[in-house]
Amino acid sequence: MNDMTTTAVADFVQDPANPRNPHLPRFCGRGNIRAHVPADLVRDSGLITSPEFLVEPHDYMAAMHTKLPPIFYSPSDYGNSWTLIKHEDCLKVLRNANDFRNLDIAPFPRPDDDYFFFIPPEIDPPHHRKYRNIVDPLFCPAGIKTLEGKIRQRAIDLIEGFVADGACEFTTAFGRPLPVAVFLDIMGLPQDMMGTFVGWCDTMIHSSDPAEVGKAFGSAIAYLKVAIAEKQANPDGGVVSLIANAEIDGRKLSEKEVFGFVCFLWIGGLDTVYATLNNIWVWLARHPERVQEIIDRPDDIDDIVEELLRRYSVTFSGRVVARDIELRGVQMKQGDRVLCCLPAANFDPEVFPNPLEVDFDRPRKTILAFTVGVHSCMGGHLARMELKIALQEWLKRIPRFSIKPGHEIKYKPGGVVGPAAVPLVW
Amino acid sequence: MPKVTYIAHDGARSTVDVPVGENVMRGALYNGVDGIAGECGGAPSCATCHVYVDDAWTDRVGGPAGAAEAELLEAAACEVKPSSRLSCQIVLSDALDGLIVHLPESQY
Repeated sequence: MNDMTTTAVADFVQDPANPRNPHLPRFCGRGNIRAHVPADLVRDSGLITSPEFLVEPHDYMAAMHTKLPPIFYSPSDYGNSWTLIKHEDCLKVLRNANDFRNLDIAPFPRPDDDYFFFIPPEIDPPHHRKYRNIVDPLFCPAGIKTLEGKIRQRAIDLIEGFVADGACEFTTAFGRPLPVAVFLDIMGLPQDMMGTFVGWCDTMIHSSDPAEVGKAFGSAIAYLKVAIAEKQANPDGGVVSLIANAEIDGRKLSEKEVFGFVCFLWIGGLDTVYATLNNIWVWLARHPERVQEIIDRPDDIDDIVEELLRRYSVTFSGRVVARDIELRGVQMKQGDRVLCCLPAANFDPEVFPNPLEVDFDRPRKTILAFTVGVHSCMGGHLARMELKIALQEWLKRIPRFSIKPGHEIKYKPGGVVGPAAVPLVW
Repeated sequence: MPKVTYIAHDGARSTVDVPVGENVMRGALYNGVDGIAGECGGAPSCATCHVYVDDAWTDRVGGPAGAAEAELLEAAACEVKPSSRLSCQIVLSDALDGLIVHLPESQY
């Protein structure tokens, strides 16, 4: 592939108010491996879709440290990328926003003539901080604390609805509705959109049919545009209204900025906590003695949540190399893609010995569940709060439970790692 | 509103207003003061908002707010001194009006 036909990554200048497609270089598949990539570093990562990965994705990602080089180049029909699994390397890349830019972050189709950035992640420093400042008061620990009562009540109402049944399918009964209900509350969107939102989101993140993904994304775009216009006409206390009426640098956000911001929160808020809860409830169901440990250590709930987030991180962070750079002796060229495998970094045995073991007393180390650097997850405090409340309220009412006998847990392929169904009995 | 002065490693001073109840890390982020990353947002789960409290203020500010802060500080990128704090854990009150903090060379 010709390197000269596309924008040089370092030269792409952002105008967040008037976004345009950066038209980054794309190198897809084994036939398009760039000349500077050493042949002995070309490996299949196996991530996301391979049968070996889908047997037990977290075990697979822990085993990458023994089976693969610390940095390797993984060809894919969707785009080749350097894959990073070392904790140290991921920190270096994610904390260096100058050399590793965050562009073209999601596979969802955005038309050239109506392009928008996902805000704030696709915005570089120093502008990035201006957008974060709009929503940080709500998403910071003190802001999230004010939501605790409401989140707790939503969790209690859900559990009370099925506790007498002695069984539930966790992902649909709790894992999905809790974060979606909380998200709708925060955004100021109606709760009766729950089912529709869930459907769009499932399709976008887990469908392998691009036409289906495009259709679901299109429906979501149309809905969000109407919601934004409504909040501009009738502002309220929700986040959609906050963003729709926000100013930076003494000007109102442009229509494209508002849309890109709301749209990103929508994508970021729906699937990640869901997958995290689903993964953790499988583990709890299989480890009744550890459930008892959690019940017996109520004062350590924050450490327990942190360790479970390390053990069951669900996603990945991609970057585009903006300038030629060397990492751990590997030459990377501008335009290369880099994929930080966050769960693998959280299983780096040099940082987290015996990494698959859940140990609530581990020394504190930087975990990558919410990535690091300027683009670290703004929803991290909300996610922690939801997980804490879910554990507390569930275990109060259903302290012993197990996977329905005969059911084999199967994992969904996709960029957010979690099981397809978790039928539980108690 | 209390004022906080951030003195960068190169000596550059920034004085900004930070509301009572807000923390020193956010005071820097909201006002575009460089030198504090605050990447975990104040969970606290990292040590990228490390500051040295000015000698004149260490008594009033006090030491780490809890075991988590103390443990995280051990992993700070730059030298940890008796005056070291994670600025996300220093919450502004009227008593801290005029607070001065010094920023380390790097947060990573």
